[in-house]
Amino acid sequence: MATYQLTINNQSVSVEAEADTPLLWVLRDELDLKGTKFGCGKGLCGACTVHLNGNATRSCSLPIAAAAKGKITTIEGLSKDGSHPVQQAWMEMDVPQCGYCQVGQIMAATALLAKKPNPTDADIETAMSGNICRCGTYPRIKKAIKVAAAKGGKS
Amino acid sequence: MKEMSKLGIDTGFAPNDSLNRRDFLKLSGLSSAGLLLGISFLNSKIANAKILDETGEKNFEPSVYLKIGSDGKIIIFSKNPEIGQGIKTALPQIIAEELEVRWDQIEVQQGLLDNRFGAQFAGGSTGVKSNFDTVRKAGAAAREMLVEAASRKWQISLDKCYAKEGFVLRNDSQEKLSYGDIAEAASKLNVRENPKLKDRKDYKIIGQAIPGVDNKKIVTGTVEFGLDARPKGMLVAVIERCPVYGGTIKSYDDSATLKIAGVIQTVKLDASKDATQMGAGIAVVAKNTWAAMKGRKALKIEWENPAGENESDESLNAQFEKNISSKGEVLRDDGNVDDAFANTKKIHEATFEAPFLAHAPMEPMNYIADVRADGVDLWGPTQVPGTVRRFAATLTGLTPDKIKVRMTRVGGGFGRRLMADYAYEAISLSKALSKPVQVVWTREDDLQHDYFRPAGMYKIKAALDENNKLVAWHLKSSSTSRGRFSDPNHKTPHATEVFPDGFPAGFIPHFRMEYLPVTSKVPRGAWRAPGHNVTAWLDQTFIDEMANLAGKDPVAFRLEVLGEEDKLMPYSDHGGPVYSTKRLKNVIKLAAEKSNWNKPTPKGMFRGFAAHFMFGAYVAEVVTISISSPNTIKVENVVAVVDCGLVINKSNALNQLEGGIIDGLSAALGQAVHIENGRAKESNFDDYKLLRMKDAPQVDVHLVESNEDPEGLGEMSLPPIPAALSNAVFAATGKHVRKLPIQLSDKGNT
Repeated sequence: MATYQLTINNQSVSVEAEADTPLLWVLRDELDLKGTKFGCGKGLCGACTVHLNGNATRSCSLPIAAAAKGKITTIEGLSKDGSHPVQQAWMEMDVPQCGYCQVGQIMAATALLAKKPNPTDADIETAMSGNICRCGTYPRIKKAIKVAAAKGGKS
Repeated sequence: MKEMSKLGIDTGFAPNDSLNRRDFLKLSGLSSAGLLLGISFLNSKIANAKILDETGEKNFEPSVYLKIGSDGKIIIFSKNPEIGQGIKTALPQIIAEELEVRWDQIEVQQGLLDNRFGAQFAGGSTGVKSNFDTVRKAGAAAREMLVEAASRKWQISLDKCYAKEGFVLRNDSQEKLSYGDIAEAASKLNVRENPKLKDRKDYKIIGQAIPGVDNKKIVTGTVEFGLDARPKGMLVAVIERCPVYGGTIKSYDDSATLKIAGVIQTVKLDASKDATQMGAGIAVVAKNTWAAMKGRKALKIEWENPAGENESDESLNAQFEKNISSKGEVLRDDGNVDDAFANTKKIHEATFEAPFLAHAPMEPMNYIADVRADGVDLWGPTQVPGTVRRFAATLTGLTPDKIKVRMTRVGGGFGRRLMADYAYEAISLSKALSKPVQVVWTREDDLQHDYFRPAGMYKIKAALDENNKLVAWHLKSSSTSRGRFSDPNHKTPHATEVFPDGFPAGFIPHFRMEYLPVTSKVPRGAWRAPGHNVTAWLDQTFIDEMANLAGKDPVAFRLEVLGEEDKLMPYSDHGGPVYSTKRLKNVIKLAAEKSNWNKPTPKGMFRGFAAHFMFGAYVAEVVTISISSPNTIKVENVVAVVDCGLVINKSNALNQLEGGIIDGLSAALGQAVHIENGRAKESNFDDYKLLRMKDAPQVDVHLVESNEDPEGLGEMSLPPIPAALSNAVFAATGKHVRKLPIQLSDKGNT
């Protein structure tokens, strides 16, 4: 066990954990930040996506030792009340079915829009194809990203 | 006792568990509420029971479906698990419609498992259709009681009062009373058993595109899925299960496991007798998930793998091949197919193969049990909370009233969570440890220990007469029957595998259908649109092949087979008792129109058609593809026309249908579970591929305007997709698809 100092959602927190513990389980089991989801454990599905220094990152495959060096944003830090334009667009387009993957999708989409405020279809497909939606909400996700972009989704 | 429906679903609902009224109150979880009037419209014996609670709150609860506080707060309870099918929005919409409130005046809460609701489950696309009458009555009865309470207060006749937007108004003055104002008075009235329901033309909420009630919680990450529940003192367990189906534990060494920080202990789990309950495994119990996962890796287990070890794709194929050249159980035999084939020249025959498929919902299996001497608390994602309660009752010896089942939101079902094996594990472990335990499955566990869509082999032989009319059709099917898996002595192993009344049966003078089950240890279960996800591929691919042989257009050929006269065809499976050729022909014609079927396809584009009836709904779909080099199918777009009767929620209806189409493409283009040495070969999303956004086509779904009673929507758009896609591949390449998933480069495939 070692102590790690993390910066999560602009707050500094101290966590005791084994060095190989993935950030995902630190968030969920130690910090009670359960918005980030477990899907595959291998960085293949994107359900666990968070931002590390602004980049969409799979928290299931990021050991805490590596995470401690950067600035982490989770869904809980995106907005307190769902007011982020991407979250608003998700609600407006009624995107979710089961909803389990949507936090990861939203984190991938916000990272994309932060870098490319007006993404092309190809940009969206490239940025979002690491995130699986078993319910098949892809057409609505794509539309929601465009709606958010049109409203200045960078926020 | 297990009650299996036509769907092959064991919902765990046993009305005899109801015990007495006091138990109902306890089970309802609403006992703090002031007044509990009536029970449900299903159980008249206990309707009209008035029970005054000592807390003295003045709530109006005319049934288990809704509660109106004297503070004006209106809560509608949703009875079924929410697995992404949208039931938590749809059923409350129906209740709110009849209650005469605005959508923004209500709050929706998930109901508990409570026998007053009747069977509570998610399966067979039945949520709306089987509850439509009951929930309408629940809303309407409450409205009538509120109106009556107001009329008494005003001392005027009932016909001078009416309900609107959460108020009772009078037509002879401006005076009005809010529902909250009269909740207490209404609670003293007898429950209306047969209220007058609204005319459909007056609907304001039913039919609207209302966003999902949990959307805000979903997009902020605050909605509670099973994996997010955290009862105090909860431990986490990860289980190493015998990789070979049906195996047992010979010996194990957990010394390295116990050295891992956070690991508390290991527990040996023996396989239950019933393969649908629990397999053998070693559970590693820890303070947190990561410690449990690491602890599992450190286990050394020697397995005893008796019967199943030699099973493989090859051994199963050998059984399939033997079967389809043998005589099976004859499920339907019209005319005389043998004579018909002897007397016609245009005969066509083909053999099809469908693989095992995994469900792979995004939320891996998990369940929490807290077993104490005096009761059990349960949390988790399931399609069958009643089955979980029955498992808990069996394992603990406690009566159902001592068992509280909380339905968390479910991160996808697709039929996987009709099996409650993972809840059985959690209950067993919590019982052993006397502590709350959450069982967590990894994705590898999920793919290796699924109850797969049955694999099968199918031979179809059909004939045209001298006028190129379809006169004979002989389907011989062999599959790893899921009915036979859950019960080796299952009397109807063909049930939910093939459908003797389905198209084209009944339209062809000489028709025979045979079935032969295959014995296997590989677990099988219901996978979205059970049976139909294969049969629609078979009949809708082969009907195109026969159209091609006849030199006729596939759409025209289908319409010719269905005939000009509109008929109600007998249909004994789920979705019957009849289906309408008028509605089927209508979706076929509309899909042809919406896709410009009769106009030339743009250069480099190729189309395929398919149509299907299932579970009461009618679907026709056109898939357009292009072939990018080399041997890669690009799905350009999909047009679908669906007649599911009255639509409750337009937004969710389209979402479900689009999702089913993408799911169908995902399976047909890339999915198969292979069996090797008695175990599943695939283990994560790198070798079990789900469609991703870059490969998802544009989807245009058209809903037929209808005033027929509502049908479900969660499964129906999937079955025609593999066929429409296969037909498009034939149009593009001239090669027939004979095996799923479709691989153009595989010689044995097309």
